[in-house]
Amino acid sequence: MSVPNKPSGMRQFAALLSKDLRRELRTKEMLISMFVYAVLVIVVFGVALSFARPSDDLIQVSGGLLWAMILFTSLLGLNRSMSQEMEGRCIEGLLLAPMDRGVIFLAKVTSNLMFLAVVELIAVPLFWVFFSSFAHPADTAWLIAVPLIAGSIGIAGIGTMLSSMTVNTRGKDVMLALLFIPVIYPLLHCCVSATTSALLGGVAMDAFTMSVALAVGFDIIMILISWLLYQFILDA
Amino acid sequence: MESVDGAHAIVADGLTKRFGLRKAVDDISFKLPQGSFLVIFGPNGAGKSTLLRMLATLSRPTSGSVLLDGINVKEDPAAARMRLGMISHDHMLYPDLTAEENIIFFGELYGVADPKARALELLDAVGLKHRRKDRVRTFSRGMVQRTAIARALVNDPDIVLLDEPYAGLDPNAVAVFDSLIESIRQSRTFCMVSHDLDKGLGLASHVMVMRSGREVYSGLRDDVDEASFSALYKSTVGQGVA
Amino acid sequence: MRDKEEGKRVPEIGGWPDRLAPIAVIIAAVLTTAGFLDAFFLVPPVPGASVSEPASIGGVLIQNKLLISQKIFFFHMPVAMVSFCALAFAGYYSIRFLMSRNERFDACAKVAMEIALVFVLMTMATGEMWTRFEWGVWWTWDPRLTTYLILMLIVIAYMVLRSMVDDAERRGVFSAVLAIIAVVDVPICLMITRLIPSSVHPVVVREGGMSPEMGICVGMIMVGMLALGFALYRARFRQVLLSQRAEAIKEKMDEGSSLGSEVMK
Repeated sequence: MSVPNKPSGMRQFAALLSKDLRRELRTKEMLISMFVYAVLVIVVFGVALSFARPSDDLIQVSGGLLWAMILFTSLLGLNRSMSQEMEGRCIEGLLLAPMDRGVIFLAKVTSNLMFLAVVELIAVPLFWVFFSSFAHPADTAWLIAVPLIAGSIGIAGIGTMLSSMTVNTRGKDVMLALLFIPVIYPLLHCCVSATTSALLGGVAMDAFTMSVALAVGFDIIMILISWLLYQFILDA
Repeated sequence: MESVDGAHAIVADGLTKRFGLRKAVDDISFKLPQGSFLVIFGPNGAGKSTLLRMLATLSRPTSGSVLLDGINVKEDPAAARMRLGMISHDHMLYPDLTAEENIIFFGELYGVADPKARALELLDAVGLKHRRKDRVRTFSRGMVQRTAIARALVNDPDIVLLDEPYAGLDPNAVAVFDSLIESIRQSRTFCMVSHDLDKGLGLASHVMVMRSGREVYSGLRDDVDEASFSALYKSTVGQGVA
Repeated sequence: MRDKEEGKRVPEIGGWPDRLAPIAVIIAAVLTTAGFLDAFFLVPPVPGASVSEPASIGGVLIQNKLLISQKIFFFHMPVAMVSFCALAFAGYYSIRFLMSRNERFDACAKVAMEIALVFVLMTMATGEMWTRFEWGVWWTWDPRLTTYLILMLIVIAYMVLRSMVDDAERRGVFSAVLAIIAVVDVPICLMITRLIPSSVHPVVVREGGMSPEMGICVGMIMVGMLALGFALYRARFRQVLLSQRAEAIKEKMDEGSSLGSEVMK
């Protein structure tokens, strides 16, 4: 029997990614549930702030609230994304293939990041629509895109690694939150700082560069570690 | 398992899986000639699935080695995986993709030259060509298992591992499954794990019985008739097992 | 039942560390008591924490306080150091475990993490007292406090994770991964919260070094706490190992009783 050459990692990456995208486009399970959840979080924030007097002070809080929404929404998506691999133990099918474990990690991070980006693209403007009556951001507000990108990459990277563990535990959802929030805390700190700076503008912008730089640094270190540890998680 | 004819498809040498003081698999060695069909029997918890997972490169042995077609699994896992197919009670298919998409996807992972043509050919072989555009979620258990066979064969493996493949199949589906396995047998080597004596013996050329991680019997299928093997099995593994 | 793996040495019970453990207990008892007395009766109160600029915390203007609460520091710092030590050991054993897949290292990592938890809780408790009496509030998002909170949450998550995985090897791998992440994440957390101070709270700086009396006192308590950590580690490690052996024996006996006839052929 002729044995073909080992397949290229790029082709496997493309196959994995397009598989995730096709699945999602067909069922829209993750996107819809994440989006609905984001809206619900906005509604809850609306209630929480409904007795606050509209003022520019609220702009200082809104950056943090925005990240709270993103964090909770991403938790939901990360969980679903890995659970799919466990249904019928597809993950073992992937492990049986002659494939570097890092490729599986990168493909999963990429697809999670794409879904998160799509949800953010709709949910973040929506957040501002609902909050426009409370406060008005500064002209530099568009710069929140930078921490959003840096934060989403970190969330997707670390979240993929952690959710690959927690889907194999009892009480998956709770377990993911329990691990994810403390580990991601430093990133969250940077992102909230950068977002708040951008929203306030003026002197507050001083902290922006530093915050973004630290967020990027955190992303690099943690994703590298996640990538290194991923093979151990999969082979367990 | 003594055999003298040249090429061995699977060589296991002193395979042990241990964690702490628990030995799931304890010093199993065998050589399986090409084209043979080994069935490993044993009660639940005998370590047979763990053994199969080590052969499948899914689990790393604590000690001992596995050669698949002469390739050391530890040294070149990717090359070993190229020669390996696995069918288990878990179908390892994405329920929301169609049968065809599933096979094409796994074909891509193995670097199959023309995955689409390969998928068509395989689904035809398992008799599901007409349903290839349907999602796996809509399939019956038997059809899912046939798709799983097609998936396992996508890389044209020399060695096929079967992990309790009968779980959840009705008698009709079992018959279809058996005939399919016969039809793909060719020169391939099979290794199956089962606790079901009747179904296993029909296919086997070699048999092994495990209990508590150890090999307690091994030999050629033709050396034992069904009744005496069943008696032997019962006395070996103790009560409570059919 | 000695477990020696391919000539490699693995942590065992009953060796010299266990003979040292009772001595460590005595050292711990003597030094921490002596340190306690020293801190409260001998070392003079020093200007404690000062604040970069006068700030109002909890309605009180804080600039520079000379308080008896400074004494908390003598305990707070040593237990914090010991908890970091224990965490570092947990990380080290976790790496060893991932490399060797030897259950013994998993047990070591787990016990080290438990010791880390004990000392993190002590750090949190003393830190809370400090915050309350020095700054007049129960909690502030000071970088160190925040980092400790995060560390505590990760250590607790580690314990919960262990209880949520059934398969022993998988449990070992997952918890080892988390321990390694914790070891990397916690220093980053401290660094980030320092570099980007949250706007509302003053930066706490300690002026100058410690006076020699303070140094001796902190040193004594530090050695005492380290000895305590070591003794606790050995005791718990011994217990874990013995219960593992008991489990293995039980399993063997179960197996034996369900045996129909002995191995044939």
